[in-house]
Amino acid sequence: MSAIDPTEVFRQEASELFEVLEGALLDLGQRPDDRELVDSAFRALHTIKGSGAMFGFDKVASFTHEFETAFDRVRKGEIKPTQELISVALAAKDYIRALIEDPQSTDDIIGEGILDDLKRFVFPDQPAAPVAEIAEAPPLAPAESKQAGWHLYLEFESHILRNGSNPLDLLEDLCKLGPCFVVPVTDGIPFLDEMEPEDCYLKWDVKLHAACDKDAIDDVFMFVSDEMKLTLSPLEHVETPAPLPLFQLLDEEPAPVAGMTAPVVQVAAAPVAAQPVAKAEPKAESKPEPKPEGKRDDRGIATVRVQAERLDELMDRVGELVIAQARLTQLASSGSDLSIKMIAEEIERLASSLRDTTMGARMVPIGSLFGRFRRLIHDLSRDLSKPVDFVTTGEDTELDKTMIECLADPLVHLIRNAIDHGIEDTATRSANGKTEQGRIELAAVHSGAQVLVTVKDNGGGLNTARIRAKAEEQGLIAAGAVLTDHEIHQFLFHPGFSTAQTISALSGRGVGMDVVKRTIENMRGTIDLSTRPGQGTTVTLRLPLTLAIIEGLLIRVGEGRYIIPLSAVEECIELTAEDERSRGRNFLNVRGNLVPFLRLREIMTASGTPDRHQKTIIISTGETHVGLVADQIIGNHQTVIKSLSKLHSDVTIFSGATILGDGTAALILDVAQLVMLAQTKVEKQHISEAA
Amino acid sequence: MTEGQAGERQDAMQVVMIGLGEEKFALDAGLVREIIDPVPVTKVAGARAFVPSVINVRGNVIPLADLRIRFGMPQPENSADTRIVVIELQLDGEPVLVGVTADKVYEVTEISQTDVQQTPRVGMHWKPEFIRFIAKWREEFVIVPNMERILN
Repeated sequence: MSAIDPTEVFRQEASELFEVLEGALLDLGQRPDDRELVDSAFRALHTIKGSGAMFGFDKVASFTHEFETAFDRVRKGEIKPTQELISVALAAKDYIRALIEDPQSTDDIIGEGILDDLKRFVFPDQPAAPVAEIAEAPPLAPAESKQAGWHLYLEFESHILRNGSNPLDLLEDLCKLGPCFVVPVTDGIPFLDEMEPEDCYLKWDVKLHAACDKDAIDDVFMFVSDEMKLTLSPLEHVETPAPLPLFQLLDEEPAPVAGMTAPVVQVAAAPVAAQPVAKAEPKAESKPEPKPEGKRDDRGIATVRVQAERLDELMDRVGELVIAQARLTQLASSGSDLSIKMIAEEIERLASSLRDTTMGARMVPIGSLFGRFRRLIHDLSRDLSKPVDFVTTGEDTELDKTMIECLADPLVHLIRNAIDHGIEDTATRSANGKTEQGRIELAAVHSGAQVLVTVKDNGGGLNTARIRAKAEEQGLIAAGAVLTDHEIHQFLFHPGFSTAQTISALSGRGVGMDVVKRTIENMRGTIDLSTRPGQGTTVTLRLPLTLAIIEGLLIRVGEGRYIIPLSAVEECIELTAEDERSRGRNFLNVRGNLVPFLRLREIMTASGTPDRHQKTIIISTGETHVGLVADQIIGNHQTVIKSLSKLHSDVTIFSGATILGDGTAALILDVAQLVMLAQTKVEKQHISEAA
Repeated sequence: MTEGQAGERQDAMQVVMIGLGEEKFALDAGLVREIIDPVPVTKVAGARAFVPSVINVRGNVIPLADLRIRFGMPQPENSADTRIVVIELQLDGEPVLVGVTADKVYEVTEISQTDVQQTPRVGMHWKPEFIRFIAKWREEFVIVPNMERILN
């Protein structure tokens, strides 16, 4: 924590701002009249410019300044944000991002090109380059910047001191620009008993006798511009021959009378002085004023940046606490001491709420991820000339931060597939009586302890026959084998499988879906495909809420105890004597469906005699159901997941381990692997039966 | 890493002396994190024979290795002297905690490099790559095992 690189902080902050900016720009494409969006884009730009300058990203600051200037005309409603303008603005945003992230690889020429484009759209009535310079500042400014100075009237919002800003420091900065005559305006000061000690009641009237730029003054107040009113007007002529800075007056002991009287005299004059200011306001109003409306979107939620590893560490500690608490509960319940039981219950409650809070701290809304795809779709639909309407729902759905990061790549794949393969071209669509514009829906929704993320398109659907032909061609299935459509679609997840006839830059290389599947399974999630010919395809990702703790079902097999992730458990049934007898077949009859089952005692090579009444736990991944036969079902268990060490990386049927209430380790079964194991067993059986 | 440590101090090497069956082994003290009493073990089905189980050490689930299997020795039941020596190894560049069952832990001692004997080519029924070298300690031959090799 000791040495955080300030530029790193800026980069992080900037990347968040870029998301805001991009989101606003893309929205603006659809709702060009939404003032909110224009303002939020403008605010983001302004902050990037300000902090960029502060952290020494001068190129960023100057480019953004130009961008901002051009965009200001949109803000003022002088021009409409057309699609073309949005595209250029997006390119400009990308350029700024490149300037920040990898300044070496950028070229000024690109930036100038973008600016020229921007100016063409923004100032259509004027010839390009140099005019922008003048248009940027109000036309009056350059002429006036040569004159005697400025008259400023500063009014801060009352809470300014609480944010750590000190108006006096700002005034001092202002004094560095040139000799200042500062007069505090005291008419806002309430009576003593109404006074909030932390509020700022003073306003200031400043005459700055310096021929400086308006920008220089703006720079002084850059960071508080949202929280103050700054009224600026050029000084007509030099009023006071020898202006004394206020600080100097206060510091000078020998001249107490002058120091005391000067402000008082000026206070009386203040309202008068304010008059011309008010008049001058409309034309000389300082340019980058997001104004108080800026407050609306921080919604009063205070946030603290925390390093992700600290959260991980916290999660580990909480995990250990949960384990220790489980041991305490077990110990307390086996004894008869009531007071210990009460304490154990109390601690159980505390530990579980602490766990929820800690997990909550790692949760971020998935909307931050969805936002990124709007740009992807915008670009793809332009490149492929397939107009696409992109709809997202459930942006508020929260997921573990690490999972959100892992989800980005799989979703990019799925969305690309949806546009490239799913959505048909406009001609085909209209021939099939569909709207020309395709539609892609990205949705997230909570479902129990899982989050479902779906990517849905209304394109042509999967071509089952073609997938089948390809699978036969690649020797994955025998020609003429009987397979359900669902089974055929599973081949899409096979490494190196692609049905695209031509390889495009986007897809068709056959890497992708298998990677998607693996990534999702690594997160202990599952992936499902469903399709309706001519109507589209839906890909559903089922994900656990968090990677660190799961709800598990604790079972016993022989002497050993194991955990099955509860999310995979469908039901628990008793293994009937009839099932028991049919040893050779290993199939259960569950309400008319044949379900293959595995005897965990065999897999775990358990010793001793099996319990009389064997239990079967039906687990599922997607559509496939498999029964696991165990000796006993013990119950629910809050499972803190510990990964297995490298020395056990060759063991695939366990996904990890946890620590039980009595301090022993228990292994967590890898459901996907067990299902695969059961399926290969079934296939072997088929083969041996056929032979 | 262990080679480097041994090389730094030409004359002596700090070791933890443990007994496995009839033999004495000297584990580089720099690897040893702690020595604990036996804890309940959890069998891992399908794991390689020399890492048959995992144990809970202070909230971490770590593998428990049995060197006796690697050296083809019988594995008697735990006795009053049985201990678990937790060592930290570098496997593929990552630190890994491993528990090692010892029939007895004798002491922490120094063996001097001058006592080091070259591994004899003949008369050994163990794989030579499992052994870093053989040293002499109190008129006895002790084996300094190459833990990285044994556990990989």
